[in-house]
Amino acid sequence: MSNEANVFTRFRSVIQTITRVVSYIGMGLLVPMMLLTSADVTARSLWSRPIPGTLELSSFMLSILILLGVAYTHQMNGHVRVTMLTDRLPEKWRESLNILTTLLTLFIVVIVFWQGIVVAFESGAVSDMLRIPELPFRLLVSVAALFMAFELIFNLVDSFRALIK
Amino acid sequence: MIQDPVIVGVLGTLGVFLLIFLGMPIAFAMMLTGFVGLSVLASVDAALPVAASTMWHVASFYPYTVIPLFVIMGGFAGSSGITRELYSSFEKWTRRLPGGLAIATIGACGGFAAVSGSSVATAATMGTVALPEMVRFKYDDKLATGCVAAGGTLGFLIPPSIGFVVYGMLTEQSIGKLLVAGILPGLLLTLCYIAIVVLWVRMWPEAAPKNPEPISWNEKALALKGVWEPLAIFFFVMGGIYSGFFTPTEAGAIGATVLLLVTIVKRTLTGSALFTALTESVRISAMVLMLVAGANVFSYFMALSTIPMQVASWTAALGVSPYIIHGVILFIFLILGCFLDAISMMVLTLPVIFPVILALHFDPIWFGVIAVLMMEAGLITPPMGLNIFTVAGVAKGVRVETIFRGVAPFLLSILAVAIILTAFPQIALVLPNMMVR
Repeated sequence: MSNEANVFTRFRSVIQTITRVVSYIGMGLLVPMMLLTSADVTARSLWSRPIPGTLELSSFMLSILILLGVAYTHQMNGHVRVTMLTDRLPEKWRESLNILTTLLTLFIVVIVFWQGIVVAFESGAVSDMLRIPELPFRLLVSVAALFMAFELIFNLVDSFRALIK
Repeated sequence: MIQDPVIVGVLGTLGVFLLIFLGMPIAFAMMLTGFVGLSVLASVDAALPVAASTMWHVASFYPYTVIPLFVIMGGFAGSSGITRELYSSFEKWTRRLPGGLAIATIGACGGFAAVSGSSVATAATMGTVALPEMVRFKYDDKLATGCVAAGGTLGFLIPPSIGFVVYGMLTEQSIGKLLVAGILPGLLLTLCYIAIVVLWVRMWPEAAPKNPEPISWNEKALALKGVWEPLAIFFFVMGGIYSGFFTPTEAGAIGATVLLLVTIVKRTLTGSALFTALTESVRISAMVLMLVAGANVFSYFMALSTIPMQVASWTAALGVSPYIIHGVILFIFLILGCFLDAISMMVLTLPVIFPVILALHFDPIWFGVIAVLMMEAGLITPPMGLNIFTVAGVAKGVRVETIFRGVAPFLLSILAVAIILTAFPQIALVLPNMMVR
């Protein structure tokens, strides 16, 4: 294997590991989210004293969980797509179509990355009860798009390799 | 630039279907088409931020926390051993009936569906438990795999159910009412499935050889132990929603917490099972919410194209019986369900179909039940039936075609239930109408 290919393989495995690790962070929040809401309902119904900020904390946790999970889901081939027709095509055609649809996906993902930053800085909102700034969480939209874009580029490389092979 | 918004809308719709069939991930195909459509109908500057801000609003919308929670309920229920217990208790009660093992499978699927929000999980876990038993008693492959694949679809109709959550999100209907509305139709469908098994075995007795081993009433009574646990959790969770004691979102959290406690008390929770449950929950939630985000971007475009409004007023002015249009919609769902997965089908069609339903004065909650029923049908229709492939993955050596043939009679009973619900909407509506709010 040539040196460049080696660097690429290393780069790819580093990025994909990061994608997985950040998604595990989001995943780990699911249990606290579940326990927090249960505790809130229990406290509300037994002592009529809800836990302040449960709602917004849960929303923030959900945003971490989802946005950090987007690229991971793509890595696991989890975003729904219809491959029924493309599967029947000869390999050359299939890979060419793959390149086309991946480029289109990359196009919208890059827009989301760019606009995610713009929209996040425009808003400046803080949460209602706990006054937590939304900015870092809003920026996760761009983080999601960035890792997604990396995954898409890896797909493109795979398709090109299959084409020239 | 002056364009006819309707023409742009039609082109956009064709475009999104083209991209989907070329293999583009559906969520991003809708986002892209929505972006292009908005750029043409409004302006590029107006269209640019839409996808990013929609993604933020969807990902941080508190009620959507119910989706990962409903999925994780299924994960915990699966690792708590509830599946096996349910199956063995049902088996003891149905052993004397024709096709007893198949009936037990469907009953256990229904029971599992009552504590799990996702359908594929039901088919996968039940397949590993029930299929080996049916193979052991030399059940016909068609019947054995068919009843697992069909039983798995019950996860969609019997609450908790992600199908109702997505429908409620897209149409702004009360998710609590929708979930409650699913209870009786879910029971009805379970009974219809059982009737199919009984008929099948009456006609072809060789499909399901009997288990001669006798069973005492004592054993039967003891077997009830396997049923009370999921039943208690179901009544607790749904009772809370029904009485307005907690919201569906909170119900998801409480149900998951209770199930987690059950697995801890019974010491059935392993680290790897927890990890699988969590990854699956993230995967499904990210997939569903990205679809919802894509659908939202796409439906801004649709709204601007005025198509939903025009289609709705056009169908209302047609003067034909609303039931004919209802039938056409069912047919569309059935066809689309062959090619698309359940959630994608909803997010693609509801922006246009839901205004039609409202214009025809159908009850939106009732239609939710019908829509979810048709999503179920989509899970088992060829060539793209998700449950079929799940079962094929579990049942080694059975051809996919065999499973499709085996599941066909059950598909008929889904259609039968859709017709029954259309004739007697009260079956779906009586419970939600009695709700406090």
